Formats: sequence, C-alpha cells, structure tokens
Amino acid sequence: MAHQPTTNGFASTEKTSYYSQLECSGCGEMFDTDKIQTFCPNCQSPLLVRYDLENVRNHIDRDAFRRRLNGMWRWHELLPVKDPKNFVYLGEGDTALLDLPRIGRELGLRNLFVKDESKNPTGSFKARGLAAAVSKAKELGIEKVIIPTAGNAGGAMAAYAARANIKALIYMPKDTPRANIEESRIAGAEVVLVDGLISDAAGMAGEKAKAEGWFDLSTFKEPYRVEGKKIMGFELAETLGWTLPDVIVYPTGGGTGLVGMWKAFEELEALGWLNNTKRPRMVCVQADGCAPVVKAFEEGASFCDFWLNAHTLASGLRVPKSFADSLMLEILRESKGIAVSVSDPAILEAQRKIGRMEGIFPAPEGAATLAALEKLLQQKWIDPDERIILFNTGSGLKYLDS
Amino acid sequence: MNKNILYIEDNPDNLLLVKRVLNSHGYHVFGAKNGLEGISLAQSEKVDLILLDINLPDIDGYEVARRLRSTGNSGLAYVPIIAITANALKGDAEKALEAGCDVYMSKPINIRELWARVEGFVESPQ
Repeated sequence: MAHQPTTNGFASTEKTSYYSQLECSGCGEMFDTDKIQTFCPNCQSPLLVRYDLENVRNHIDRDAFRRRLNGMWRWHELLPVKDPKNFVYLGEGDTALLDLPRIGRELGLRNLFVKDESKNPTGSFKARGLAAAVSKAKELGIEKVIIPTAGNAGGAMAAYAARANIKALIYMPKDTPRANIEESRIAGAEVVLVDGLISDAAGMAGEKAKAEGWFDLSTFKEPYRVEGKKIMGFELAETLGWTLPDVIVYPTGGGTGLVGMWKAFEELEALGWLNNTKRPRMVCVQADGCAPVVKAFEEGASFCDFWLNAHTLASGLRVPKSFADSLMLEILRESKGIAVSVSDPAILEAQRKIGRMEGIFPAPEGAATLAALEKLLQQKWIDPDERIILFNTGSGLKYLDS
Repeated sequence: MNKNILYIEDNPDNLLLVKRVLNSHGYHVFGAKNGLEGISLAQSEKVDLILLDINLPDIDGYEVARRLRSTGNSGLAYVPIIAITANALKGDAEKALEAGCDVYMSKPINIRELWARVEGFVESPQ
C-alpha cells in the first residue's frame, strides 16, 4: 500500500507547520498568511514565507526528520501547508546524492557529487515546487491554476493539479519537448502552445489569469513554489552531516532553486542546526544563447536586462528574464559565487560524458553544470579538495526529440 | 531642479502606482492616457525620461517611440525611453528596442527595478 502523507506517517509532532508570516522580499511589508497572495502589490517583488523558527528550535530535534518516511513532506514544519490533509503527495523529494568518482578522477576533484533530481515525480526537480504550490492552493480553496512553462514545470503542475482535483491550464512554447506536452495532457491539463518563448507564454497566461480568474503559479508570482525547492537545501545539509558543501553548481532559468536553497541555509543557520555555518559559493549556470544573469552579474547590475533572441537546446534555461533576478544576483554576490554560461555543444558533450562515465542520463540543464565546472576549473576558480555539488535537474529521457 | 518623467499609460492604476513611487524619490511624473497625447506632451513640455506602455488605445507604443525619435527635435531623439509591456506577443522586446526604446520591462513592473532603471538615466533630485 502506498504511504499516505499524514502527520502519522511524516511526523511525530502535533503542529504541522510553523508558517507564521509572509514578507515582501523588496519592501519588507507583511501579508496575511491565510489569504490567497501573489506578489507584493506595493513594490511588485516576490513574497517569501517566514517561519516561527524559535519555536521550531524549541520543539523539534534536527535528527527527528531522518526517522520519518522519505519524501519532501517529512520537513512539513518548515513548509507552508497547515493541514496535512492538503499535502498533495506523489513521492517527491529525498533524491539521491551520488558521487561522481570517474569524472572526479578525470578532473582531479576528490569530492564531486551530483544531486540527481531526475528521480522526482514527472522526472524533474519542478515536482518539488509544484507539490508545495498546488498543496497550498488546495488549502486556500483555489479551484483552477495556470502556468507558463519552458516544459517541466507544466508537466509537474498538471500532475499535482490532477492529484488535487484542481483544473489546470498550461501555456508553453510550441517547441517545448514532446514529453512535456504529452505528460501535461495525460494529466488532464489544457495545453496552449505558444509561438514564442516562456516570456511570451507568461504574458498570455497573465492576461488569461486576469480575465478568467485562474490562479497564476508562475515562478515567484506566488510565494510557495520556492518553499518546495528549499527542501533540496535541507536534504543536502542532512546528507552531509549537517554541514554545507563548498560549491553548488546550479542551472538557472527562473532561479527558484537557487533562491530556495539559500533560504534553506538561512533557516538552518537560524535554527542552529548546522555544525559548520560556512555557506557554499553558489554558481549560476546558463546557456550562451540565453545568459541574462551572467551578463548582469558581470556588469555589476542589480537587475537583468531582457535577453533578446534567446536560444538553447536546454529549454529550461530559455528564460530571458526572471521575476526574481535581483534576488539571484544578491545571492551570487553574498555567497562570493559566480555566473557562467556554456555553449550547446559543450552541454551535449557533458551529457554524453555523464552518461558514459557515471551511468546517469541527465537533462541538458543538468549536463550544463558539468560543462560549467570544467570552465571554472580552467579558470582555477575551484580548489580540487573542495566539496562540489552539481545539480541534475531532470531526466534526459524527457528531451529525446531535442 | 525638477526632473520630469512622462508616463504614457492608459491604465490609471498603473499610472498612480508609478507616480507614487517616483514622486517619493523626488521625480515629477505626469501622465498621458494615449499615444497621441503622449507625443504632444513630449513635444510641448520639458521631459527628462519617458515611460511608455506598449498597449495603448490609439497608436501602439512602438509607433509612439518611432515618431518621437523622428521628430527632428534633438531632445526627443535622445530622451531615454523605457518600454513597459505585458509582453503578450512574440518579440515585443525586440520590437520595442528596434523602435527606439532604450530599455524593455515587462509587467508586473518591479518597482525597485523601475526606480533603479530610472535612476540609471536620470539622477534622483533627492
């Protein structure tokens, strides 16, 4: 029998969530946590969930999480869903952290790992964010959700919406991988194919949402997707014995994972659960054909310019401008990280290398992290003894037509 | 000395929001509710920067930008123009820049970004 996501299964405490406040990342204004919220109506920045961390620290032992059933919801005290009956669960979370011994040897790295997110439901890390967002939508009584997507987020939203019995509408570029289109339709979502990029899809979805009352689950236009992604940071810390790696190499489109993991590290530090609070240097990886964050980072800008004529085979990286660009740039600078772009041929070569040498078939976005790592090694930006985590954000099987 | 910003925008809510924010940084903001009124105001008033919505009720923002850039008025040929659009159609950003806009922003407008962009062109009087 499948595990049911009840407090009995995932937890042993009485309080499901310590979600206490919703704060604007731009102007700091607070918002009602029990109402439907999008982004800040005053300065139009993303909203971030805040928890009563003092009470979490007083009531929960960090090692208790390990004793619970596997999955993202075992961290439910630090997720925003207040009633466990609203957890929409498909098996997300607790993906493997695998070492890469052969590639590591070839590159002269002694501590190289990949967090393999392809094992999530719908084959990508998008499952985490959409599990959290759809669960919260269910809790708030939302009956129809809409999303613009480069591909995997659409498939994930469709699956979780189906599970939650919520109506789903998806706008995606017409050249989105076939698997994303089919998985969305199979899950009962209505799919609109757009002659353009995710930014064009976002415009159309936004108009539709406004006209017909759909709730928009676009990246950072609601506060909860980032909470699901945050759990990747908790899992890393727990797996590494409550320490953090030296370097995280992360493919960056909308940037939810980057912002989410940094938030996880802040929360863990505030909770006093880390044995060593040294934060990782965050590396944002983009494609040469769409690198707005790289450009803004190198220019010292606080926001990204809209990237014109975006093109790359890594469809998840075709994001000409993220709604959370300033948050990402702040994190890169605060972490003493860097932003790197790589070419499509380098991505394909890295994809073959990971498959051939380690038996993993990564998504092109995940493969891009190895291509970026090789570039950083040439620049001597990385020390061979450092503990390095690459993120494979999805399965290469979803991109067979690209 | 006043720094004048012309916002060509038919939606009064957007105009009010932007006006409030930029006023608080010392800028003087005045609005035009369609493209032709915007062009006329740009020609008759001293304007340091133009915020230009693309979806206007008469002529679209691209046409407004093209006309402003070709008036023969050297001030308007170089005045910074920030295009703002809901980017509902493919290639909006490219079209805005080709029409003569300096920067493209999509809605919802992040006010911190808008302020940073404006200040990049016109120093805050405060």
